[in-house]
Amino acid sequence: MAIAHGEKLLKYLEENGTANSLKLSELWNEEHQKIVGTVKSLLCLGDVIEAELQSNVKWDLTEEGKQVATHGSHEAQVYNAIPPSGSTQPEIMAQASILNAGFTKDIAKVGFSKAMSLGWIAVDKSSGAPKVVRKIDSIQDLVQEHLKEIASGKNMLTNELRTEYKKRKLIQEIVVKSYEMKPGSSFSTSVTKQETDLTPEMIASGSWKTKEFKPYNLNALGTPVPRGHLHPLMKVRAEFRQIFLEMGFTEMPTNNYVESSFWNFDALFQPQQHPARDAHDTFFLADPATASNIPSDYMERVKNVHSYGGYGSQGYGYDWKVEEAQKNLLRTHTTAVSARMLYALAQGGFKPAKYFSIDRVFRNETLDATHLAEFHQIEGVIADYGLTLGNLIGVLYEFFRKLGIDKLRFKPAYNPYTEPSMEIFSYHPGLKKWVEIGNSGIFRPEMLLPMGLPEDVSVLAWGLSLERPTMIKYGYDNIRDLVGPKVNLQMVADNPLCRLDKHRGTEIKEPDYLQELEIRMDSIMTRLRKIENEVSKLRKQCKGSPEKLTLVIEADPNYPPLSVQTLIRILMASRNPISVTIHQHSSLKTACSSDLMQWTKSTISNVSRVDSLFNLTWIWKPVGPHPTAKVVNQCSGDICGETAVARLLARLLESWTDCVFYENYDINTTAEIDDWLDMWESCIQSGDSTFLVLIKRINNRLNSCDGRKWLPGVLPGTKSLADIFLSTLLGHKLNSDRAKEWLSRCNSF
Amino acid sequence: MPTISINRDLLFNALGKSYSEEEFDELCFKFGIELDEVTSDKLIILKEQGTERSVGASEEIIYKIDIPANRYDLLCLEGLVQGLQVFLGETRFPPFKLLPSQTVPQKLIVKSSTSSIRPYAVAAVLRNMHFDQNTFNSFIDLQDKLHQNLCRKRSLVAIGTHDLDTIQGPFYYEALSPDSIKFQPLNQTKEFTASQLMDLYATDSHLRHYLPIIKESPVYPVIKDSNGVVLSMPPIINGEHSKITLNTKNVFIECTATDVTKASIVLDTLVCMFSRYCQNQFTVEMCEIETPKGGIKNYPILKTRQEKIDVNKINRMVGINEQADKVADLLTRMCLTATVAENGCLSVTIPPTRHDIIHACDVYEDVAIAFGYNNIAKTLPSTNTIASQFPLNKLSDQLREQLAQAGFTEALTFSLCSKEDISDKLRKPLSSIPAVHVSNPKTLEFQVARSTLLPGLLKTIAANRKLPLPLKFFEVSDVVLKDNERDVGARNCRKLCIVYYNKSPGFELVHGLLDRLMQLLEIPLDPTGTTGYSLKSCDDATFFPGRCAHVVFAGVTVGVLGVLHPEVVTSFDLNLPCSALELNIEPFL
Repeated sequence: MAIAHGEKLLKYLEENGTANSLKLSELWNEEHQKIVGTVKSLLCLGDVIEAELQSNVKWDLTEEGKQVATHGSHEAQVYNAIPPSGSTQPEIMAQASILNAGFTKDIAKVGFSKAMSLGWIAVDKSSGAPKVVRKIDSIQDLVQEHLKEIASGKNMLTNELRTEYKKRKLIQEIVVKSYEMKPGSSFSTSVTKQETDLTPEMIASGSWKTKEFKPYNLNALGTPVPRGHLHPLMKVRAEFRQIFLEMGFTEMPTNNYVESSFWNFDALFQPQQHPARDAHDTFFLADPATASNIPSDYMERVKNVHSYGGYGSQGYGYDWKVEEAQKNLLRTHTTAVSARMLYALAQGGFKPAKYFSIDRVFRNETLDATHLAEFHQIEGVIADYGLTLGNLIGVLYEFFRKLGIDKLRFKPAYNPYTEPSMEIFSYHPGLKKWVEIGNSGIFRPEMLLPMGLPEDVSVLAWGLSLERPTMIKYGYDNIRDLVGPKVNLQMVADNPLCRLDKHRGTEIKEPDYLQELEIRMDSIMTRLRKIENEVSKLRKQCKGSPEKLTLVIEADPNYPPLSVQTLIRILMASRNPISVTIHQHSSLKTACSSDLMQWTKSTISNVSRVDSLFNLTWIWKPVGPHPTAKVVNQCSGDICGETAVARLLARLLESWTDCVFYENYDINTTAEIDDWLDMWESCIQSGDSTFLVLIKRINNRLNSCDGRKWLPGVLPGTKSLADIFLSTLLGHKLNSDRAKEWLSRCNSF
Repeated sequence: MPTISINRDLLFNALGKSYSEEEFDELCFKFGIELDEVTSDKLIILKEQGTERSVGASEEIIYKIDIPANRYDLLCLEGLVQGLQVFLGETRFPPFKLLPSQTVPQKLIVKSSTSSIRPYAVAAVLRNMHFDQNTFNSFIDLQDKLHQNLCRKRSLVAIGTHDLDTIQGPFYYEALSPDSIKFQPLNQTKEFTASQLMDLYATDSHLRHYLPIIKESPVYPVIKDSNGVVLSMPPIINGEHSKITLNTKNVFIECTATDVTKASIVLDTLVCMFSRYCQNQFTVEMCEIETPKGGIKNYPILKTRQEKIDVNKINRMVGINEQADKVADLLTRMCLTATVAENGCLSVTIPPTRHDIIHACDVYEDVAIAFGYNNIAKTLPSTNTIASQFPLNKLSDQLREQLAQAGFTEALTFSLCSKEDISDKLRKPLSSIPAVHVSNPKTLEFQVARSTLLPGLLKTIAANRKLPLPLKFFEVSDVVLKDNERDVGARNCRKLCIVYYNKSPGFELVHGLLDRLMQLLEIPLDPTGTTGYSLKSCDDATFFPGRCAHVVFAGVTVGVLGVLHPEVVTSFDLNLPCSALELNIEPFL
């Protein structure tokens, strides 16, 4: 069927050059939907035809409209049912029903009121009972005529009439979709069905030689490949493991989750009253509850070093109890295994060693988005004669360099079993701050010497969690999305390779010289701030400090008050303690662009609202072209209009900084500045042509032969409010050389 | 790590210098403390109780500073300022002096009845103190910080401070039955017996935490003066009678303890921090403690220790090369006043504030801190070692790789689970499972260490039912089993577990994967079960009857595979057939 029609259509196209599906449906007296089907199947054949979908709006009668077209408008039906002599309402109803069986009370209601308002009929109460009479002798039922026209496909109504008929639900809008067609690049009038794919039969029979094949849609995605995946955390683990192996570290056997308190704490010189040994922090075991077979001579040495010291130590001076050491627990760190390894190393005749492990540890902690009761600890240990803290720092740099981290910083810290202890911080380019990434230190002699290690052996160690770098690497906020049975395995499937030394996204490496410059700039800024501190102290002494002020400005995103924004930027750049927050009001129909929400960003002042003396709240709100400002906690009313707000800010700026540009010079200058702003104000009110006058005045002023730099006459040295205001708002309309110089002067602050 | 809250303006005032937040942060970093948060009373109330409550609260800036757990001497404004000023080289560390009493020394007599509950007590007197509101608050705060940290929530040590002019020595520390102790406690208007106090404070948000320390004891500790006035009932509450006020001139400090070393440290710390407010600065008056055996000991000990430290050793440990006088300067900046002595040694004075210095290595660290960790030259150790992998981990990783190549996806589940997970839900009695039990789980999910990987994988399926079928997961990880052969009575066992979840059970698929694994491990199929591997039909309650087999390797059962019992399927909130294989891989090493 479709193909038969298809050939007919193609022939039509060959003869006529173009075709429209709607016209064809009329022409061939075929349902439009069928023609559309044909077009679609022809389109599948490739470039035989080209078709463009068109939507036409067409007006058609509603059911009620069809009634009117046949029987006349409601008002006409009412009129026609009234005999020349007049009649009562029920009689008219009856008569109308005779004329039109479909006549209803609703029609009557509309008809009566419409006929009354048209002045066709009237109610005559002169003879007692109210009687409806014809007021004019004949009527012309325009409504019916119009609707008949529409029904016949003509469309000559005025917009008003169309709206009225639409309101009366007599006509409706119908969107008609049709195809406009023309021959395609491989147009032919004969249609062959294309094959979707090659089959064994085609290969056997050789029929592929004559067949045409449907082209592939190369823009679609392919079918997902069935495959297996490794878990992201384990991929990161593999990477860390690889790094340790590259650095010559031997993997420790950490497959013992159950550990005794002795190896987990006591051997590490962690006193028995240490908070970590509380049930709040550690999982103790009910079964098997205690450990046995702790090497007795070693245990005696550990007991002594805790209780009385020795090996150069004062000890902790408490009553060490073997019962406490025997308590079994789920190990809280893999350092328990390191302790066993170092003890074994001491027993077998010490040889330098480098150990690592990555395995689970357990903490009976409160769980949250970044903490679980179990996590993986990464640990590295180096034992050798004469190791130094400088060695530890050197190894950590190399280790983290392999992870793609090369900015490190070390902070003194406390850890019961290392001394010195260092927290490792790395600079996070995305967060733009230093974040703690691990802990490190040199094991205490009180831990090593009782094991029997030689006195001049030092042991360096560091540890970090596996989950944290993984969360940072792959951008997880919640650890439960990464570990545990609730993990979405689709995430596992979509997870990319783990290449820790490869930077992605926000972590793009900046060239070093830029960092150096930044560091230099920071140090200069710090010095400047110090000087500024001094200056502001002095100023406070002579002036008294400015009052704390909170200002709310409401402005319309469609009419952004550019001059006010410029002033605020200048205010922020003045390094006064200013805090600006930007909001959008709920009455805004469309959300503000990020530019509008962050226009202060380039001059961000980093002052908290508590510290700041001036808090500005900026609200985008549909207030029209006139922004308003309100000083919070003052009884004064709103300040309305861009010039007024600009004046307010200029006064503020003058009282807070040393610059003079509005009221602080002399009264004449102030008056002159006011004059410029007033001119702008009147331009706003009277429209475009007056702007030209203002521009002309600015140009004249700047081109005047006294070589002046700024708009007001006398103000020396610096720009004025008028300059800032008008350059911001009109600058783009000025193009003389002088004006350009002026603009660049105004823009530099 | 304890955190202290310090009023910024008071701090800068005491330091005699203002810092920007960044500068102060930087100073903290170098010194080894951490500026954790900048806030104000108003902000804290705003955050915790809402806007309304915050009206009128102070907007003065508060610095919250993290202090390392062993630096008790930095837990108050006085100590922190002293530490920082000495660190910056702006002042020198003061010498503390222990003075005998000018008349009769205050005496605290410890009765033997305390031995069963809280056997130790120490005491000291600060004479002619001058408090103002800030120092008074700081004095109270420091006691609180010490109570929370070093005193282990008052269980090891409890501090009581009293207005000496309201009480009359000698003082008696004894333990009495709760009903025979009666006094007016701090901030109460009438007298209570100790038993009544236990009820009174049972709902007190602050004090109720300390009640269990003595609650069950037949006798409670109490300190009285010679007139029978109750000074305190440690570790719960002091008496109202002797409470200190802004006007207090002479302060009697007592610490009762179960650990006398800690009590002495606490006492030293308190008096060192606040003797600066005595008329005769940095002096403390000695007290006598009479022990139950009749011996007399003087407190506070306030011992200043001298250590000889080898400069070469310091340089060697830290990895720097500094002259002795420079190292001495560095130590002096850490409140460890040092002078150059003979034979390349330093004589280092360890003041009574630095109880954290218990070994030369603590001194090395302070040199490193004063030198600046980030100024130490990085060097690589010359340690030359050959790396090797833990064989079991290597095998596990190779098998994981193969399982993923076979189209299975790796899950990572918890080692801890509920008892139900490994017993009832798998249709097995808990008593039959050699599981390791946790004694103090906070929730049901941490009752036992898993003895099988299966429950974790079934939970993973349940959480991923939306993914297109079939679901094919695996995990290679440790389970924990009781084992009397080990010193701790338990061992890990490395298991490999596979689940296949689909509209049909897919037993043959899991079976096929087992065959593939055996092929990779070069283990032949051997139905006689002596050298290679074989399957032996078995009954296992977790699996559907007749659809279950043991994997036997070299005559030993090493695993099980089969179609899960429908009740197991439904107990994990699943509704489709599921096959599983769980294998101990350690025999294949």
